[in-house]
Amino acid sequence: MFFKYFKKGVWLVALLALSLSSLLSGCASSKTIKIGFIAQMTGPDSYIGQAAKLALEDRIAEINEKGGIKGYKIELITYDSRSEVPDAVAAAKRLMDQDHVSAIIGPEWSGAAIPIASIADTSKTPVIATTASNIKVTVDDNGNVHPFMFRVCFIDPYQGFAIADFAYKELGKRKAAFITDVSAAYSVGIQNYFEEHFTSLGGEVVAKEGYQANDQEFRAQISKVAESGADLLVVPTATYRDIALIAKQADALGLKIQYLGVDGWVADELLSMAGKELDGAYLSSGVTTESPEFKDYNAAFEKKHGMKATVYAYYALDALYAIEYAASAVLDQNPSADPGSEAFRVSLKNALETMKDVPAFTSKLTMEPDTHNPHNKPVVILQIKDGQWKIVKTYEP
Amino acid sequence: MILFIQQVVSGLSIGAVYSLLAVGYALVYSVYNFTNWAFDAFMVAGAFAGFYAIASFFIPPVPAIALALLAAVILSVGVERIAYRPLRLRNAPRLFMMISAMGANLCIINLANLFFGGQFRKFPEIASGTIFLGGVAVGKMDLFAAGFSAVALAILWFFLYRTRAGLGIRASAIDTLTASIMGINNDAVAFMVFAISGVLSGSAGVFYGIKYAVYPYLGIVTLKAMIASIIGGLGSLPGAVLGSLLLGVTETLVSGYISSVYRDLFSFSILVLILLFFPNGLLGSKDSEKL
Repeated sequence: MFFKYFKKGVWLVALLALSLSSLLSGCASSKTIKIGFIAQMTGPDSYIGQAAKLALEDRIAEINEKGGIKGYKIELITYDSRSEVPDAVAAAKRLMDQDHVSAIIGPEWSGAAIPIASIADTSKTPVIATTASNIKVTVDDNGNVHPFMFRVCFIDPYQGFAIADFAYKELGKRKAAFITDVSAAYSVGIQNYFEEHFTSLGGEVVAKEGYQANDQEFRAQISKVAESGADLLVVPTATYRDIALIAKQADALGLKIQYLGVDGWVADELLSMAGKELDGAYLSSGVTTESPEFKDYNAAFEKKHGMKATVYAYYALDALYAIEYAASAVLDQNPSADPGSEAFRVSLKNALETMKDVPAFTSKLTMEPDTHNPHNKPVVILQIKDGQWKIVKTYEP
Repeated sequence: MILFIQQVVSGLSIGAVYSLLAVGYALVYSVYNFTNWAFDAFMVAGAFAGFYAIASFFIPPVPAIALALLAAVILSVGVERIAYRPLRLRNAPRLFMMISAMGANLCIINLANLFFGGQFRKFPEIASGTIFLGGVAVGKMDLFAAGFSAVALAILWFFLYRTRAGLGIRASAIDTLTASIMGINNDAVAFMVFAISGVLSGSAGVFYGIKYAVYPYLGIVTLKAMIASIIGGLGSLPGAVLGSLLLGVTETLVSGYISSVYRDLFSFSILVLILLFFPNGLLGSKDSEKL
């Protein structure tokens, strides 16, 4: 009997010790700048987080080898959001309250970035969203900026504007149909901005079909689009699998139509899944791995990691470069600052807010202080041709 | 009118795959009175085994599908051995078996995610192309899947109603304890029931993989099949097929004519309504007349 309880007791003590040690490991050493990274590391969307994490780790190792930022080493703490909003929010809270990070990179999608924005403000921790492009990520419903929320990608109004402009003027399309993920703020946002500009030019949106995240069956919507007489099908989805399935099912139903997409399509997996069905489709993107200036980086990345660099890695690096700049600026002012302190985070935020022409990975970054959006991020129009991405046109705001 | 027929045809093709899974649910439920929540995992096993057999080992489609079904059967029988049989032998409440099934399912799906990665894989094309019948498009693969489902269900019916082993399963479905007193080997019945479930869910997995994509979470659809088997009457095989086709067509019609946003709302509302008027489902009957 005694042994039974004794055994239980040993387990309990072991468990307690384990949880205590994990708690203690959360305490910061004062000469380290901790940066959190909330990423989609597992599940169908892991292609978004995997390469980005490796890219960040490479860059951080490089900085630390050179002695860190003004003598401060950088430590990256990555948590998997599993592509779920509650997990992303929990990860953000854990990074802020438990790990006491100085800044956070991510998340990648607007649905998670919007709730995290208010938490960032409360805990006074700067968060730099990577590819969350909905306008509400950095400003609230009344148009007031979230002081601690930033992003490094373009915003949807401009993306919607650019693809509508391209569809009407360059492709000569007049009747657009939509198949939209109505559960994603990102998708609905782009649909609205597209419609606004497209109809103002004289075009017409003849069908608006919806679906919800993780749907696999689109034939009902595709049949309706075919019936509507549309000459253009716009699919503003944040994940390549939706458009891959739509294109495959449309092909099976015999629908031949011009496709137009958004930056959420960008994944090499799309080319292998539905490159044939989507041949000739156009889409917009902020940056592309096809740009010649990334050629050397891509080759080195692939050689080292055995996987391709992605635009998600580029955006994550942009965010890291911004933090490097801001931390360096803060340490210039106060060389013995404690990176775990609120004062440090507030100064970091001030530096991010006022950054101007700071060299980042993809281009120079200038933050707009009243919106926390990067200034003048271009939109690149790509075409899928023969299983490759081809650059067609660049829109400068 | 063509649009309407097209939607119904699409709905039937969705329902055909639901029916494979729903029949599996019905079979296990009829014998063991619990819902086998691990179907999801068997489906994934079938899809991945079929995918790797063709894409990595270049095995021709028919033996590859046979291998896929074998993988699902092994997993299904294995899960029965490890997660259900010990509980069954100790007369654990049925609810515990359901929880055990959920645990096994989560465990297998997460392992698949860990080992294979979550990305989407395109199943090598087996029967691509579309047949047009008076403006209505019917995918060759859909026809094949529907045909396969029909044949598989016919064989299952024959097995259950025209063979001694089938009689044993039916006897166990009515009363497992009495059946075992009469000399029916419970473990053999369990083996057969779970092997059949493995074949059904494995083939559903292969069809799903071909039609959509292969990834660890493709089994999410089993929830729909579960609803279909409840609509049809849990434990009734014809009911499971009827419920599946009904659900498939309802979903496409709702998506096509109302909005896909309300699709699940309608599916679940129909479930509630049917249960209000037919507490045992459409073709379900009292315990004594199952299967």
